[in-house]
Amino acid sequence: MADPLNDPAAFTAPSYLQAIRSASTMSANKFDEGYSEDTRSQTGSDMIMRGGEGAIEVDLQYGLPEWVMGMTESERSEFAYAILRSLRTSSIAGIVDKLNPLLHLDPVMHLPPEITFQIFSYLTPETLLRSSILSQSWRIRVTDSSLWKVMFRLEGWNSNFGVVRTFEERERQKRIELRDRERKRRVRATTDTDTDKPSSKKRVRERQLFGDGPPENGIHNKLEPLTLNSAQDTTSGWGEQHSVVEADDGLATKPDDSMEGIAYEDTPSIASPTLEGSRRRKRSSDPGDDESSFTSTSTSTSHPFRPSLFLPTDEPKINWQYLYKQKRRLEENWDNGRFVNFQLPHPKHAEQSHTECVYTIQYSGKYLVSGSRDKTVRVWDLDTQQLVLPPLVGHHASVLCLQFDERPEQDLIVSGGSDCSFILWKFSTGRMIKRVEKAHQESVLNLKFDDTYLVTCSKDKTIKVWNRKELWPTDDAYPSSTKKSKARFPSYIIDMQHQVENQHLHFKPLPPNSLIMTIEGHAAAVNAIQILNGQIVSASGDRNVRVWDVRTGSCIRTFSGHTKGIACVQFDGRRIVSGSSDETVRIFDHATAAEIACLHGHSSLVRTVQAQFADLPGNEEDMEAEAKAVDQNFFAEAQRHGFLNQKSSRESRRSRNAGSRDPSSILAFGAKLPPGGGGSRWARIVSGSYDETVIIWKKGADGSWEKAKVLYQSEAVRAAGGRPRRPVAHANGPPTAGNQAQNQTQQQNQTQQQNQGGQVQPWQAFAIQAAASVQAAQTLAQQAQALHTASQAFQPNTGSATAATAAAAAATSSNAAASSSQTAAQAQASTATPAPQQNAAAATGGNNNNNATAAAATAHHHHHAAPHHHHHAAPNHAGGANAQGTSRVFKLQFDARRIVCCSQDPTIVGWDFANNDKDIMMASQFFGNSV
Amino acid sequence: MAEEAKTVTLQTSDNQNIKVDREVAERSILIKNLLEDLGGESGEEIPIPNVNEAVMKKVLEWCEHHRKDPPASQDDDSDSRKKSTDIDEWDQKFMQVDQEMLFEIILAANYLDIKALLDVGCKTVANMIKGKSPDEIRKTFNIQNDFTPEEEDQIRRENEWAEDR
Repeated sequence: MADPLNDPAAFTAPSYLQAIRSASTMSANKFDEGYSEDTRSQTGSDMIMRGGEGAIEVDLQYGLPEWVMGMTESERSEFAYAILRSLRTSSIAGIVDKLNPLLHLDPVMHLPPEITFQIFSYLTPETLLRSSILSQSWRIRVTDSSLWKVMFRLEGWNSNFGVVRTFEERERQKRIELRDRERKRRVRATTDTDTDKPSSKKRVRERQLFGDGPPENGIHNKLEPLTLNSAQDTTSGWGEQHSVVEADDGLATKPDDSMEGIAYEDTPSIASPTLEGSRRRKRSSDPGDDESSFTSTSTSTSHPFRPSLFLPTDEPKINWQYLYKQKRRLEENWDNGRFVNFQLPHPKHAEQSHTECVYTIQYSGKYLVSGSRDKTVRVWDLDTQQLVLPPLVGHHASVLCLQFDERPEQDLIVSGGSDCSFILWKFSTGRMIKRVEKAHQESVLNLKFDDTYLVTCSKDKTIKVWNRKELWPTDDAYPSSTKKSKARFPSYIIDMQHQVENQHLHFKPLPPNSLIMTIEGHAAAVNAIQILNGQIVSASGDRNVRVWDVRTGSCIRTFSGHTKGIACVQFDGRRIVSGSSDETVRIFDHATAAEIACLHGHSSLVRTVQAQFADLPGNEEDMEAEAKAVDQNFFAEAQRHGFLNQKSSRESRRSRNAGSRDPSSILAFGAKLPPGGGGSRWARIVSGSYDETVIIWKKGADGSWEKAKVLYQSEAVRAAGGRPRRPVAHANGPPTAGNQAQNQTQQQNQTQQQNQGGQVQPWQAFAIQAAASVQAAQTLAQQAQALHTASQAFQPNTGSATAATAAAAAATSSNAAASSSQTAAQAQASTATPAPQQNAAAATGGNNNNNATAAAATAHHHHHAAPHHHHHAAPNHAGGANAQGTSRVFKLQFDARRIVCCSQDPTIVGWDFANNDKDIMMASQFFGNSV
Repeated sequence: MAEEAKTVTLQTSDNQNIKVDREVAERSILIKNLLEDLGGESGEEIPIPNVNEAVMKKVLEWCEHHRKDPPASQDDDSDSRKKSTDIDEWDQKFMQVDQEMLFEIILAANYLDIKALLDVGCKTVANMIKGKSPDEIRKTFNIQNDFTPEEEDQIRRENEWAEDR
């Protein structure tokens, strides 16, 4: 016989089996408490005591004659049926009623928490919440924090476990310190615990009974003076819950202080090592630690059922139901456009502002770094909205791109600019570490670094790869071959394949920040770049996105689809999202290069884009299967209706599909991703454009991307309490437009009023004027868009797309001298009719013309070539059209809570969807950053 | 001889001996590990003191039907994946038992470490909760509502944040 089997401890749940099997064993169980919240699997079957089982007990006490018990089960069954049939129906019904509890068993009573945990993990959050009102014991199980952690993850949301752990640890330290202080104070006062208020003792005792099982030895060790007021004490078990609610309210004043509050009131229970031990045991067997919270049916507290940041346990543990709830509320704010605006610098510190337009920003939880045409890099604290360091001076011309990593092990900012160089700075001090002059022959348009490489791209059409750390030819990161691609390698790069063959092994390491290779292949300026998993993704004015192997420099894949130059790109490992001068955002399947969505909505160049697909864990195969199903459906439909043979070109279909699964709008097959790019229902794309808007895209009912919200850069500046760079002189627009604008921007105005509190009246008048001008500009933009789409409509039908667009571009740009835009702007101011279209057409046309002639061709370039006529010219203009040309969006970034964007305006603005909600703000720090 | 080695005898909690193919019994990781620990010696009954005959027979019926299934991979990330509650047809039929038996099968699967059966059991219970109103769920499981109407109302209001938009 094997020992493990004889050891009762080896069995996980014998008590349940016994309990179910024979009702009579129940009488053996102690009834002393009559009520227990203890649902741990090891504690025995007392939980079965609750509910209607008692009734059966009574019935069965009526003993059966021995001759009946002597029969076999089937005989008894027949016999019972015979007896039943002899009864009147009403009697049978009565018996059925009594049998009901036997046939319908409560799983929470009969199954241990680890099993109900698994059951509940199959349910949706909505179902779980619905189940939370079934009974108190159900509520305990379905509000279990680890269950909600699973729910959180299953939404495809990221969370920052590191921050969670640090936060819990800090709280733990705080509680320990507080407890020590408490203890000392008590010793000083009087050591006799019996002099404590009686109510506090009562509370402690109840905690013991209901929370952590029967009291262990030395209850006095656990008694700690309580400082709760007596009103709370009388609510016994609820007091604990209430304390948390109070802490909740405390958050409204100041997060740090309120944490103290929680610590304070939970202190009494973390007194002794014995209790510590029991808690640990409990945790090991029980996924839910919050069972102690429901011990009474008191209703005297205001929000006894509201989840709080910390679980009401002794050990500080973040409550994942709280995080889940706040995340949902945050998402709702996004969907309903509820936000407050903010700006950098804080309106009170206008002197910290960049002095010219801001081309690039990046932010992490706390810090934001910006680079401007004023040649400086600035480091901001997002919480205080002020500079952390004096401006970083070093570039000789505009700062166009940057990346930073504030983690101590990196502590780095890298910035690049129009001076063709890039500079490495120490993030923490702002000290310049290294300047690499003439890194490119023309402007450094974008750069990205990971642990191993820094990649830069330039208007000179090349991509360059640099090493971050000292690099040996034998290192994995070293180029594997110099012959396998068209990339150029500096002479000091050894062809490792060749070397190995020749047994030449006299290597020298490459110092950090050496050029490793130069990748040529794009036919125009390389505007945007990214590096991920050893692959470089680049977007160029030549209308292509390319993916390169960082070790060989060879081009792995080319993504075409855009009909004009591409300004921005993002790669998340599966999809490539790009924004272009063709005014669209497109999504490509990285694995197959298929275009899986095209988003129409902007009326000018899409300069910046970020996508967050919120992938569900392990959904790769699911998405591939979905993509296959869509393909099959497409081919089936195609055969039925014959639209494969239809004349509709690839281009015309492409231009329609924003991710729909409708077979008639499918534009690419064989993709590994479904149309639209897959991801969860929380997927979101945010794009910023020269049309001065920021669009938030969400997936609609059919899975295709839709404009969920359009945000206006200029409105954000005003709503943030700042002044637009060029105050509008007067509102020239028609009065009706003004009224409309007022209605339309009502929400913003409200926010604005809130924010500004005591602002004087002239300001409000000004705001209305400004709003009116925005409205006017919008109208113009719409007209421009209409015209533009009309002109575009000609292009796809002409078969050979590239040639056609190039020709069209040449045509529209015949008078596309960038300097003309100033006149155009003036014209638009006076006529307020299609004039701006000329401007737009000229701008985009100019780009294309450049493309066609293989010159560096981006809006960016265009912008530089035409020396900033927009803002310089602006003050001369009268009328609403002024707003145009001062807030083109250059770069944006969003995370779970905010969108921040920079533009032609020197002020950086943001939309904070926490909307001043303290709970959401508190929870947001634990939400992971998007890609 | 060889025939002998391929069967094992399980002794249930009510002292009934059940003879079963070793391959079938080894769907249970507990039994599998036990047999491995015992080495070549078989013939002796293996006591399963937590499972009675009726439940054991039911469990073995499932094991018999699934004897050729690939072994459950221990490290699969099923916990982190969005779970479907789809159950294949045979298993659905198999699970059409009274609730007492259903819970006992789940407990036995948990004890005997038969992951796939535990999954099916849990999904079955989950499906009994899905799409039902609170009152319907209470009826299904004979749940005694121990909340006061005021409390119930408070919880309802607190839960409003999750109402589908």
